[in-house]
Amino acid sequence: MIAPLALIGLISLPIIVAFYMLRLRRRDVPVGSTFLWQQLVRDVEANAPWQRLRFSWLLLVQLLIAAIVVAAAMRPFTASVSDLAANVVLIVDSSASMATLTGDEDRMADARARARDVVERLPEGGRVTVVSAADSASVLVSETDDRDAAVEAIDGIEATQLPGDLTDAFALASALAARDSDSTIVVVTDASGDELPDVGVEAPVLVELVGQTDANQAIAALSVVRRAGGAQLDLFAAVANPSAAEATRRLEVYADDTLVDARELTIPAGQRSEVLIGTVPAVSGFVEARLAGTDALASDDRAFTIVPAEQTVRALLVGPGNPYLENALALLPRIELFAVGERGYADAVEEADEADAPYGLLVFDGVVPTEPPGVATLYVDPPEDGPYGAVSGRIDRPVIDRPDPDEPLLRFVDLSTVHVGRARDIEPAEGVRGIVSTPRGAPLIGVGDDGGDRLAFIGFDLAESDLSLQVAFPLLMSNLVDYLVAGGEGILPLSAKLGQPLSVRVDERFERVRVTVRPAEGDGFDLELPVTDGRLTIPGADDIGMLSVSTLSEDPELDALEIGRAAVNLFAPDESDVTPGDPQRIVDMGRVPADDGPPPQPARTEWWWPLVLAALALLAVEWLLFHRPSRQRLARAVGRRPRALAGPAR
Amino acid sequence: MTATERAPFFDEAFLRRLEQLELASRRLTAGRMKGERRSVRRGQSVEFADYRTYTSGDDLRQLDWNAYARLERLFVKLFVEEEDVTVHLLVDASRSMDFGTPNKLEAARRAAAALGYLGLASMDRVSVAFLGDGTATPMRPLRGKRRTHELFTFLSQPRDDRLTGLAAAARAYVSRMRGSGPLVLISDLMDPGYLDALRDLAGTRSQLSVLHLLAPDELDPDIAPDARLVDRETGHSVEVSGDDDLVDRYRARLAEWQAEIAAFVSRRGGAYVPVASDLDLADLLFDVLRRRRVVE
Repeated sequence: MIAPLALIGLISLPIIVAFYMLRLRRRDVPVGSTFLWQQLVRDVEANAPWQRLRFSWLLLVQLLIAAIVVAAAMRPFTASVSDLAANVVLIVDSSASMATLTGDEDRMADARARARDVVERLPEGGRVTVVSAADSASVLVSETDDRDAAVEAIDGIEATQLPGDLTDAFALASALAARDSDSTIVVVTDASGDELPDVGVEAPVLVELVGQTDANQAIAALSVVRRAGGAQLDLFAAVANPSAAEATRRLEVYADDTLVDARELTIPAGQRSEVLIGTVPAVSGFVEARLAGTDALASDDRAFTIVPAEQTVRALLVGPGNPYLENALALLPRIELFAVGERGYADAVEEADEADAPYGLLVFDGVVPTEPPGVATLYVDPPEDGPYGAVSGRIDRPVIDRPDPDEPLLRFVDLSTVHVGRARDIEPAEGVRGIVSTPRGAPLIGVGDDGGDRLAFIGFDLAESDLSLQVAFPLLMSNLVDYLVAGGEGILPLSAKLGQPLSVRVDERFERVRVTVRPAEGDGFDLELPVTDGRLTIPGADDIGMLSVSTLSEDPELDALEIGRAAVNLFAPDESDVTPGDPQRIVDMGRVPADDGPPPQPARTEWWWPLVLAALALLAVEWLLFHRPSRQRLARAVGRRPRALAGPAR
Repeated sequence: MTATERAPFFDEAFLRRLEQLELASRRLTAGRMKGERRSVRRGQSVEFADYRTYTSGDDLRQLDWNAYARLERLFVKLFVEEEDVTVHLLVDASRSMDFGTPNKLEAARRAAAALGYLGLASMDRVSVAFLGDGTATPMRPLRGKRRTHELFTFLSQPRDDRLTGLAAAARAYVSRMRGSGPLVLISDLMDPGYLDALRDLAGTRSQLSVLHLLAPDELDPDIAPDARLVDRETGHSVEVSGDDDLVDRYRARLAEWQAEIAAFVSRRGGAYVPVASDLDLADLLFDVLRRRRVVE
């Protein structure tokens, strides 16, 4: 008993009995005659304050209720040993895959139940920190011994549409565990492709695995290309089937909310099916692809893309001259190509600026400018360090590793027959990633961001590779240019990933802009965001759909101008593969407890709640007993025959 | 004076309907005053009773030519035979009757008024009395529809009786009782001496009918738990507790009591009619009492 003082409450039992023995002050009810009543009721002595105690079910029930309430107030418990440390960091996965439906409930419901169970298992005096983790971590309650507060926080966790990344959550957990050596990290997750940090934590990690294998298909990619001068668009869509069985799904394509195409796709298990649809009208503003029907995860069954505006970008190729590069760039419909030698670069840029026709894309072939140019840039065979990273030497005959099949920049690009004779050994700068690398991870082709300006590099001389002789080359160039010179209308890229913040350049005349978010489901909303030093940072969207940016200005001519649109999609193959993953890789993040570690913590399981339930049930019984005469009268009134003649002589 | 003006209880249409009935008297087979019933034996008496409109076949000797001279309408004079029927109507006026919704005493007054009118319309002698405070308060016997107003006025008078003293009151009435015929007791019988009273009334030569009048609240009481029931008549109280089946037991006792009375009356050749005070009077007369052959 935690609170034995509650035994004092037992004094209520004789009080209840006393109330039953005390004569009640009864309400006078006039009747025509007590002639019959006197024969039924034993008259009670008129003036005695007490009466003999008679058996009553009501009294019995009330005594039981009082006894149970006293017992509950004493907080009985059973002692046990907890498998948890005194300090528990409880990470609850709330990534998109946790919205997977199994029957009527999503995994999140199961996860909440497991998390509540963890709180119940806390040792005596244990503290818990509840962390909700999707693409980033959010601490809901910190190091509290208030279990109710922890459970309340857990009950408030809902599955998001965001990709899973436990890096932040483990960083938090690691920091908390570092303050208390007696810590346990408990992760409630489906272990479905969540990103994990490279460095482990100094505390044991337990995994509460939720979820079961469910069939799911997803739209893995969606993009649209405007044909030069054409009346229609080319739409590329990929539907992935990470399930263990072949699936047939109907893909519907909507242009500006109007159905323009639909087709059945049969996707083998574990593979994806790609389609190219050329029936989308070029006048469309945006295109949506939708998988008809239902599957385990709804958030990856819809995807959006913006139809890029028909615009031309002036590109300047700086270098000694490369016919393959020139041809590939010149063939791109959006590119108006200019070429200049290394010496003429500065003058060409200056002239273009003076003519108010700046270059939107710079391509440096074997050349690196002394200053970052401040626009999108492609570096080919960079001989020295630059914004893309540090060049430390050469790699002879590098082997091209199998690239990520979901890498959008390698769409339609087959590098399996490409050979490279010699490449630059480049250590990528922060914000730069390799999309084609050697098996040892040295990037051969990479993309990234330099303070808001996109960049890409091809880390070898095209003359020392057969890439420029293959079909893959113009496709690769097209993808890289699309990446560098973001299609979209205005400042935004065509597509953004859920949860991914966007940092874009905005005309410095504007100090604030309005961001309009239109999720696929539910109501949209507006955000007013500041523009700092010509840059706008848009926080990651929580729902798939569309967003647009428009200006805010006191000048009526500059106010409310739409300067960018983007589609927001999940496009997270790991989240779409809803099959629960291997929890061991998460367990392995933690330290294996030493044999001489802290002794097991005592825990106790309280049993007040079944008692409270029993008391409530008895209360209901008491109500029934107390009101039984009324209910009987009501029943009689409902079923009463005409009262004209009562009695046996009728 | 029209019938309606004379009748505070009923309208004229209802009175006309009542005239279709007459009180049954199973013990009398002859010697009845004929009243409106056409018969060769009519007019044997010299006691004038009433007029009625002449119809074809009536004895022309009974025409009232004086009335014809004044009104130019033919009326037949009706006379009373010496073996006429006396209708006895006894209304319990104790406090216990002044209870219920609808009020039992009011219902008893209306029932007595209707039965009395039947008797008057049938040229029977009608004797009405209130029973209360251990005595009977009769009015002088009436005959003929002309006395309807008197009958109704008597029945309408306020009563302030406290106790029934049913046995004493019945005995008092029987001792002064003249003439025989239907005897109708309208009472709730909520009196310890109810059996004595019934015995005395059944012991007369009259045909006893007991209209056992109870209020709906008494037939199916709605008593809250932990109440004190105060007797309207005696002032005595009975405490009831939250006894769940008390009302059920009351209903069973009531049924048993009614059965006892019915058996008692039946053994003495009488009719027992349990009546709820909310029963429509027309239903009582044209259905219930007719089926029990109290009226015909």
